Amino acid sequence: MSVRDDRTTRRDPLVYLVLVAGLVLTITPFLVMISTSFTDQSLVLELPPKLLPADPTTRNYTDALSSSGFALYFANSAVVAVATVAGVLLLSSMMAFAFARFTFPGKSVLFGALMAALMIPGMILILPQFLVARDLGLIDSRLGLVLFYIGAQLAFITFLLRGFFQSVPKELEEAMELDGAGPWRVYWNLMLPLSRPALATAAIFTFLGAWDEFAWALTIINDPDKRTLPIAIALFQGQYSTSWGLVFAASVIAVVPVIVIFVFFQRHFVSGLRSGALKG
Amino acid sequence: MSVLASEATARPAPVPVRGSGPRGPRLSTRLRAARVPYLFLLPGFAVFVLVMAYPMAQAFRISLHEWNILPGAESTFVGIANYLRALEDPVFWKALVNTGVYMLATVPAQLALGMLVALLLNRAIKGRTWFRALYYLPVVTSWVVVSLLFRYLFVTDAGLVNYVLVDILHVTDTRIAWLQNRWTAMVAICALGIWKGVGWSMIIFLAALQNVPKELTEAAELDGASPTRRFFSVVLPMLRAAVAFVTIMLVIGGFNAFTSIYLMTGGGPGNDTQVLLTYMYEQAFDFLDFGYGSSIAYILTLIVFALSVVQFRVFRYSEED
Amino acid sequence: MTGTKVLAMLAATALATAGCSSADPASSGPVTVTYWHGYNETGEELQTLRDVVIPAFEKAHPNIKVKQVPFPDEALRQKVLGAAAGGELPCLLRSDIVWVPELAKLGVLEPLDAKLKDFDALAKRTFPGPLETNKYRDKYYGLPLDTNTRVLMYTPAALKAAGLEKAPETFEDVRAAAAKLKGSPVKAFADGGTDGWNLLPWIWSAGGNLLNPELTKASGHLDSPASVAAVQLLVDLRNEGQLPDIMLGGTGGTPTDEGIAKGEYLSTLDGPWTFPIYEKQFPGVTVATSKMPAGPGGSVSVVGGEDIVMTKSCPDKEAGGEFIRYLLSDEAQLEMAKVGQMPVLADLGARLTSIKPYYGIFVEQLKTARPRPPVPQYKKIESLLSQHVSEALKGTVSPKQALTDAARAIDAVLAQD
Repeated sequence: MSVRDDRTTRRDPLVYLVLVAGLVLTITPFLVMISTSFTDQSLVLELPPKLLPADPTTRNYTDALSSSGFALYFANSAVVAVATVAGVLLLSSMMAFAFARFTFPGKSVLFGALMAALMIPGMILILPQFLVARDLGLIDSRLGLVLFYIGAQLAFITFLLRGFFQSVPKELEEAMELDGAGPWRVYWNLMLPLSRPALATAAIFTFLGAWDEFAWALTIINDPDKRTLPIAIALFQGQYSTSWGLVFAASVIAVVPVIVIFVFFQRHFVSGLRSGALKG
Repeated sequence: MSVLASEATARPAPVPVRGSGPRGPRLSTRLRAARVPYLFLLPGFAVFVLVMAYPMAQAFRISLHEWNILPGAESTFVGIANYLRALEDPVFWKALVNTGVYMLATVPAQLALGMLVALLLNRAIKGRTWFRALYYLPVVTSWVVVSLLFRYLFVTDAGLVNYVLVDILHVTDTRIAWLQNRWTAMVAICALGIWKGVGWSMIIFLAALQNVPKELTEAAELDGASPTRRFFSVVLPMLRAAVAFVTIMLVIGGFNAFTSIYLMTGGGPGNDTQVLLTYMYEQAFDFLDFGYGSSIAYILTLIVFALSVVQFRVFRYSEED
Repeated sequence: MTGTKVLAMLAATALATAGCSSADPASSGPVTVTYWHGYNETGEELQTLRDVVIPAFEKAHPNIKVKQVPFPDEALRQKVLGAAAGGELPCLLRSDIVWVPELAKLGVLEPLDAKLKDFDALAKRTFPGPLETNKYRDKYYGLPLDTNTRVLMYTPAALKAAGLEKAPETFEDVRAAAAKLKGSPVKAFADGGTDGWNLLPWIWSAGGNLLNPELTKASGHLDSPASVAAVQLLVDLRNEGQLPDIMLGGTGGTPTDEGIAKGEYLSTLDGPWTFPIYEKQFPGVTVATSKMPAGPGGSVSVVGGEDIVMTKSCPDKEAGGEFIRYLLSDEAQLEMAKVGQMPVLADLGARLTSIKPYYGIFVEQLKTARPRPPVPQYKKIESLLSQHVSEALKGTVSPKQALTDAARAIDAVLAQD
C-alpha cells in the first residue's frame, strides 16, 4: 500500500478492482435516488426495485424547478454558503494560527472552550441562539444565517487548520522573520499559501455545512423569499404523502453545486510544501 | 513534516528585530508581542462568544431549571434534579447504549475505509478526480435525503437490500424486517453512518497525505519493505495527528447522530433504537421539557469531552506537544 | 498565491452579503394578516388557499392583506415553538389539534371566545368533537378549521377472498374475521402504531376511556375492565397472527394503504386523505368504508384535523378575526373540501357529499367521534400509553397490567401540572 504517486503503480489492476467495488456500494443508493427521480409517482415503491426506470419522465425535475421560488431558494443558499465559507476561513485561520504558533496565558482554556462547542448538540442551543438573534435584530435575515453558521463552524475549522499549521516547518517562518516580517505577514504570506490543501478541505466542509443546514434556517427565517434550499425540499414532503420523485429530483439538483465546489477546491490538494516551497 | 504533525514546539511570538518603542525597546516589544496571539483570536472569539458560548451558558442554566420556554416567564430552579433524573431513566440508558453501539460500529469502519480509499486515490491513477468526487458524493448529500433513501432501501418487502439478499444472492429465504427490531435496525442505521462518512475521512487523509515526503517511502521501498510495512512503519506515524483528528471528530459525530435515526426509525419501535440526541429532541421539542433535554445534552457533552481528553492523551496530541 | 486570492474574494462576498439583511419597508395602507400553515408546497390545498380563498377574501376586504406562509409540516411544530419562545409568532396559525392546549398553557394564544363577538354562532355550526380540541381550562383558544376521523377501510375483493359477506361491524365480527383468516397470509386488521390516534377508537368503542371527564387522572378509566377488554382484543388478534408488526410502531413494514391495496391486510382505520393516495398510487383498486366496529360503548372514532388559532402577538386582531370568520364560511370550507380538506361545519349536508361522496361516512362517524383529551401534556401521556400497550402486544405483560402501569405513570404526569 504505497502512498507514492509516481508512474510505477499506475496500472495496478487490483487498485482499480478495489476502487470500483467500493464505488458500486457507494453510488448504488444514488442510482436508486436518480432512478426514482425520473419515475412517475405511482411507480415509486415497486418490487423488484429497478435501477433504470421503465418509463422515465423528467416531470419531477420540471415540477421542482418550476415550483414557486425554487430558483430564489437556490440563490439564497449559494449566497449564504459562500459568505459563510469566507467568514469561517478568515476567522478560523487567524485563530488556528494563534493556537498553532504562540504560547500565551489562557491558551488551553480558550482551546477547551472551542472543543466543548464542537461537542454540544447544536439542537439544544437553538432556543438560546434564537433569543440572541432576536436581540441583534437578525430574525428573518440572511445575515443571521451567515453569522450563526460561521459561529457554528468556527471551532471545527479552527481545530482542523491548527493541526495543518503546526506542521508548516519553523525554518520558513524564521527566514521570513529575519527579513523583518511580522506575524501578520507570516500568517498572510506564508501560512495561508502553504496550507492550500487544508484551506481547500475547510472550504469544502464549510460550504457543505451551510448549504445543507435545516434547523436554524427553519427557526429564524419567516419570509419565504429568504428561504434556503433544504427548507424548499422539505416543503415537498406532505402531511399524508410524500412525492418521493419530487424530493429526490430536488435533492439531485441540490447536490450539483456541492460537487462543483468539491471539484474546484480539490485541485488544491497539491501541497504548498510539495510544490516546491521547501526547495525554493 | 507531516501535515498535522506535532513536532513543532509552540513558542513565543518572534521578536521583530527593528522594533523599538519610546520607553526602551525590550519591554514594549515584548508587550506588543504578547498581545499578538490575542489579536489573532479576537475577531473569531467575538463571534464565537456571541453565537456559541453565551447560548451554551444559557443552555446550561436551562438544564438546572424546570424551564418555561416563554421569554420572561418564571422557571423553577431544580438544581441537578434533571441530571439525577437521567441516571434513573431506563430509556436514557438504553439510548446511551445505542449511542455507544453506533459509535463503536461506525468510527473504526470509517477510519479504516477512509484511509484505504485515500491511499488508493493518492496515486496517479486515471480518473482520480472522478473517483474522489464519487466517493465524496455521500458526504455532500443531505442527511435528510439519504436517511429517507436508506429507510426506503431497508423496507421489508420492497426494499433493495432484501431484494439483493433474498432474490439475487439467495443468502436467506425470509425477508428481514430490518427496521422493526432493535439490532437489525441498528445495523441499518450504522450502515448509513459508515456509508455517509467514509468520504469525509478520505478527504482529510488525502489532504494529510500530501505532506508525507516522497523520499521517506522511497527509502523504505529501497530497503525492501513490503507495502503493508511501509504503510504501518513509515506513512501511518506521519499521519498520526490526522488520524487523531479524524478519530476525535468521528467520536463527536457518533454521539451527535440524530437525523438518520430520527428519520429511519424515529427511535422506534418503542424506544428500541433511541439514541441520546433523538431522546433529547423528544424531551425538548415533543414534551417541551427543555430542562431535561438540556441536561441530556450536557451529559452527552461531558462524556464526549472525557473521551476526547483520553484520545488526546492516547495520540499524544495536545496543543503543547 | 491562489489560496490567498480565493480567500480575499470570499471575504469581499461576505461583506457584500452583510448589506443584504433587509427590513420590511414600513407599510401604511392595508393591514397584513400573517398566516402560518403546513400545507404541502405542491399540494392542491395550498393552491386553493393561495389562488381562490385568499383572493376572494381580499376582494371582499380591500383593507386587509393575507400573507400565507407554508412550512414543512413535519417541522411546523419546531418552528412554532421557536417563534413562541422568541415572541415572534404570526397573527394566525393552522395548528394541529393536539397543540392547542399546549400553546394555550404557554400563554401565547388569544382566547377566541372572548375575542370574537360572534364566537358562539361560529362554534355552534361546527362538529362538537373538533370544537372540544380548542378548550383549555373553560376557555376556547381556537376554532376547528378542518377535520377528519378514522373509519374502517377495506377492499371488497379482500372481503370476498376471506369469505366474508360484509365488513366487520362489531368487535365480535372482528374476532370472527380473524378466526376465518387464521392460517392465511392475510391479516384481519392493521394499524401503524400504538398512539392514542390508533388505540383510542378501540378503547372508547369498548366503553373505556383514557382520562376522567375532568382530565385530571387516568386511573379508574384507562385500567377499567372496558379499556382492558379493548386492548385484550388487539392482543388476541396479535396472538392469532392477525395483527402485523407495524402495529408496534416500527418503520419499514408494509404501510396500511399498500397492504389494503395489495390484499395483505383485510382492514384498517384511516382518514379521508387516503383516497387521493389510493387513486394515485394504486389505480384500479376499489376501497370501501364502513364505520368503526362497534363495541359495548358504540362505534366511537377519534377526531383529527387542525384548528385555527390567533396569537397574542397578532398586530391587528380585528383583521385576524375577520379572516378566521371567512375561513369558517360555507364558501371557504366548500372550496377547501374540493381539494380534500374536510369541512368542520356539521350542517353542509348534500352540498358536501356532492363534492366528494366519500365525505358522507366521515360526517356520520364524526357525530360520535371524540377528540384526544385536550391537555397540555398530551404528547407525554400518549408516549406512555404507547409504550405500555406495546409491551402488552409483545406479550411481556398482560393487558390489565400494562394499562394499570400506564395509568399510574399518566397520573403522575397530570399531577405535575
